[in-house]
Amino acid sequence: MSEMTVFEARRVITMDPDRPDATHPDATHVAVRDGRILAVGAAEDFAGQPVDRRFADCMILPGFVEGHAHVMEGTLWKHTYVGAGDRRNPAGELVPGLSSIDSVVERLAQAHAASPTDETLVGWGFDPLHIKGARLTRRDLDKVSAERPMVVFHASLHIIVANSRVLEMAGFDADTPIAGVVKGADGQPSGELQGIAARLRLLRALGWTSWAGELEAADVARFGAAAQVQGITTIADLHNDLPDSTIEIYRAACTEDLPVRIVPALASASCAPEDGVARIAALRAHNTERLRFGLVKIIVDGSIQGFTARLGAPGYHNGAPNGMWYVAPDDLKRIVGIYHAAGVQLHIHTNGDEATEAALDAIELALKAAPRADHRHTLQHCQLARPAQLERAKALGVCLNLFANHVYYWGDIHRDLTVGPERVARMNAAKSAGRLGIPFSIHSDAPVTPLGPLFAAWCAVNRISSSGAVLGPDERLSVGEALHAITLGAAHTLHMDSEVGSITPGKHADFAVLAEDPFAVAPEKLRDISVVATVVGGKVFPAARP
Amino acid sequence: MMQGATRLGRPRQPLTVIGGFLGAGKTTLVNRLLAGGAGRYAVLVNDFGAVNVDSDLIASHDGETLRLTNGCICCSLGDGFLGTLARVLAEPVPFDHIIIEASGVGDPEAIAEIAIIEPDLRLSAIVVVVDAEAFPAQIADTRLGDTLARQVRAADILLLNKCDLAGDEAKARARALLAELAPGHPVVETVGGRMPADIVAPGLIGEERPRFRATSAADHEVAFDRFIYRRPGAFEAGALRGVLERAPSSVLRLKGWVRLGATAETRVLQMVGRRWTLAPASSPARGIELVGIAASDAHAGEALADLLDHALVPAADGGPDFSSAMSRNPYGDDPRCN
Repeated sequence: MSEMTVFEARRVITMDPDRPDATHPDATHVAVRDGRILAVGAAEDFAGQPVDRRFADCMILPGFVEGHAHVMEGTLWKHTYVGAGDRRNPAGELVPGLSSIDSVVERLAQAHAASPTDETLVGWGFDPLHIKGARLTRRDLDKVSAERPMVVFHASLHIIVANSRVLEMAGFDADTPIAGVVKGADGQPSGELQGIAARLRLLRALGWTSWAGELEAADVARFGAAAQVQGITTIADLHNDLPDSTIEIYRAACTEDLPVRIVPALASASCAPEDGVARIAALRAHNTERLRFGLVKIIVDGSIQGFTARLGAPGYHNGAPNGMWYVAPDDLKRIVGIYHAAGVQLHIHTNGDEATEAALDAIELALKAAPRADHRHTLQHCQLARPAQLERAKALGVCLNLFANHVYYWGDIHRDLTVGPERVARMNAAKSAGRLGIPFSIHSDAPVTPLGPLFAAWCAVNRISSSGAVLGPDERLSVGEALHAITLGAAHTLHMDSEVGSITPGKHADFAVLAEDPFAVAPEKLRDISVVATVVGGKVFPAARP
Repeated sequence: MMQGATRLGRPRQPLTVIGGFLGAGKTTLVNRLLAGGAGRYAVLVNDFGAVNVDSDLIASHDGETLRLTNGCICCSLGDGFLGTLARVLAEPVPFDHIIIEASGVGDPEAIAEIAIIEPDLRLSAIVVVVDAEAFPAQIADTRLGDTLARQVRAADILLLNKCDLAGDEAKARARALLAELAPGHPVVETVGGRMPADIVAPGLIGEERPRFRATSAADHEVAFDRFIYRRPGAFEAGALRGVLERAPSSVLRLKGWVRLGATAETRVLQMVGRRWTLAPASSPARGIELVGIAASDAHAGEALADLLDHALVPAADGGPDFSSAMSRNPYGDDPRCN
């Protein structure tokens, strides 16, 4: 028989709904054997057993489950972070946010000085919204170097700023006749590039194969480490074309040394649904405990803050024209129908309520054609769902993964421009979802917003915007509800709730070890709780937090 | 020797974007181009599954690229524009034409911009296919109407397709809606996407005299009129641009050599629907020599000739003055465009 380890904690918060009290107030010990949870109890339940006391002053929770992130988070950390907010890197160090264009230039200059090659210097996470709208231009970047190619991604990833060298390489000048090559007051390109054509030219000029390049083992390692320092033990990479090269990298990287379980979702747009069904079947046959294929992601519309989401009446608050369909409603019915009939679980990105309606229509039709219990199709973001749509989601057995972090990052913009003060109050309506009994989670969409389930929980519990306004107090979750959303709730949407998401005998021994009790701290302090370590399959991974 | 060589000595490959909503007939049009063999085309499609060519025509298929025995290739856009376009542009022999089939909800203009700024490409036209029968209901659908309107407004040439299935009344309604959404945009009524390849996939102009390929079976169901315009002189550049901006909307296609200004410098004119380019020619022409195609309008050639004559140097007295006309195609004579 294999060795048993008993971890002692100040308290073990099981999040197991089958226990009389989900927080299990008396549990202080959890026993692990063969990577699985053996038992939870008090000290006397394990009398005579050797006890691992290294977490005796900490709280042990189920490892957090991030149901919507992207492996690009791992790729971007190879480059220089220049965002407005503090962000923790894969080494667990806090990288301070930058509050001005000058400080962005200074950090890029440091990166250039540290490694003055002629390779393209890349910055990411630039966030004009949170530095009073200041825009970064080619002139700013030219101060770092006019010779070395340099690009900076906005936090949204929809805008890229290039220096003069890159503009020259791409052949962009005052005469470039497309709006995606933004011109300054002097008629010259400002450096800001957006839209498919400008981005494509830029990639070709830089000789890149994609924004992230071919996935490398180090990218997966950084992705895992960035998740681990936030207490995450299972994470979805929720939109991936999954070329053979990526699958190989994943298979090689997802070993017992990687501190997370990864759940990649196949991008529906990458192949016809009939081919997707076959690909999923082939991939699932080789699933491991650390790498789980099976999900398919469909993107229906764009983003609300980019005015590309499909909104139903009354449309955008400021009168902007409606956004874009990525998939036509009728085509969505076809695609959903094929995957659903084949038993595949779908994760469907909808931001606007018109897109949500189209997704619900498609699922309803698919269910009529092929009734299927417990399908767990999940609407991702689903930020603007109307009350009647939530009722429909419940009736259809649909799960939600709400974008709680949006209320903090873009809440003020949503209130003032995109949806107005009334609709912003029910954006990401987590409380309503819970009241209706809809299984739901909350997510970061990293790298769009920072990874960090405790931060997402803080957002859902407080609904405070970055300017300090409370937006939609009726939709605030309790701490317990928010913790459920980032553990068992997320595990449910990934169809992994029988294996992870709570501290329950038989499940994987995946824990988040916290310095403080989330139920004891003030709700507004939830995001400040330190992650001490994680445990994955019984193996301890200390979280470096200098 | 081809026209408009790039720095690398390769010609800019002309590119057409085919837009239009699901079911309008884009794929039928694409299938016809591939099978027709009127030129060596690269066709980029969203869904391989819908491409339907005779198996005898298939030389190879590796999952990403379908190669035909007639030299055409068809590529899936599944892994994005970047990789797909890179593969097409890396082919050893340039194509006569590259055709991108936009998705049913795609904005063809956004895709067309790729050809506008890519040094290896030249935008030939945005062709938008509309289902004559379904269009009125589609445009009235609040979920779809704005997407379709955006496509229609982007069109250099509109194909009102499936005209055999739509009654006269439906066709008239669709035409009226198109005229309202996109006034002056050429509309061609088609059946089963039958269009001369010279309009949807025109090749480069070589050294030989400009001419169109012999009428093919593809033309039979809809009448197209062809015309020729030859003059010994030269155009006043501004006046020519004015005429091109205001050409009768029944003129679908115009190509050939023009000479400009007092020095009679030769330019290659390429016009498809509303979009035209004037690019430097590799050798001087002896005169103005243009060939054109018009939709079911025997007088279009005459009307255009009349306008063109007024743009000749010296300008005829009393002719309309288009020299200050707002250009709807301000980059049309960018020398990089051919």
